[in-house]
Amino acid sequence: MSSSLHGAGYAAAQTAAAAARLVAAVARDSTGWDGAAGVAAQANALAVRLDELATEDAEVFAAALGALAAGSRDLPMRMARAAEVPLEIARTAADVCEAAALVSERCDGLLRADAAASAALASGSALAAAQLVRANLLVAPDDPRVTQAFRAADDARASTLRALDAGS
Amino acid sequence: MGADAQLVERCLAGDQAAWNELVEIYSRYVYAIVSKGFRLHGEDAEDAFQEVFLRIYDRLGTLRNPEALRPWIAQLTRRVCLDRLAASGREEPAEIEAAGTERTVEELDEAFSVREALAELSEECQEVLDRFFCRDESYRTIGEELGLPSGTIASRISRCLEKLRERFE
Repeated sequence: MSSSLHGAGYAAAQTAAAAARLVAAVARDSTGWDGAAGVAAQANALAVRLDELATEDAEVFAAALGALAAGSRDLPMRMARAAEVPLEIARTAADVCEAAALVSERCDGLLRADAAASAALASGSALAAAQLVRANLLVAPDDPRVTQAFRAADDARASTLRALDAGS
Repeated sequence: MGADAQLVERCLAGDQAAWNELVEIYSRYVYAIVSKGFRLHGEDAEDAFQEVFLRIYDRLGTLRNPEALRPWIAQLTRRVCLDRLAASGREEPAEIEAAGTERTVEELDEAFSVREALAELSEECQEVLDRFFCRDESYRTIGEELGLPSGTIASRISRCLEKLRERFE
């Protein structure tokens, strides 16, 4: 088995990272509003963070599967880690949506569709990551991590609606 | 007269508090060059660190342009590290230089400049930038911790970054 199996968490993080890069590009290309460079810098930082989370998720996911297959005593620790990384992906993807909403509300009209689409992509990532937290074998439905992950997904959705409504 | 030039002047006038300040300001910088630029660790790093500050103490009076304190310290630190590596015979200085030391020092210089500029910003800006860029905190977490609406955090960060950029213009 590969030591870095690319599961859904990896895909969610990579999708949100791509969305963050698009937000940064739109902000950079959009002139005429103060703060565009600042939002671009934040979106770039979020993209880098998500790239790291993608790699980390692949590693912890593979380690958790390995521990599960082997019936290892490390299993609880491995599974806990496999829930924490998607939670962080959900939170970070929600921030991408917020940055995308901010850009959608202020950017040039021609670029607005790209910013809104970025929010939609990142929102999907946040929801996917939240679902991975809930699906973790050792996470109970009332676990605070599930609550936090879905709260991030809700934040992402709210920001995305702002992004989609901007300019309409 | 810039802050570094004033510091040099006070040190040369025998102000002990100024010497302490110089060590406090530049200790992380020197240590970063020693450990990240030249990959010295443990006792080697400690010895190099001590040697650098001894040389600064002995030679500060030879610094021609007090505004250039930081590059002078960087150069002196490089010299100390290369001397130690050459004396130990563990690695050819040329190999170390080729291994990207200059780039590392440039990056450290840039980081140090940003740190200095950050210190001139308001506490609120320092806090919000540190939480987002250094501690990787989410907008929601920052908002909750600072008692601010999370929807305003991204804009606040942008304004603070703008102020930071003004420091470099």
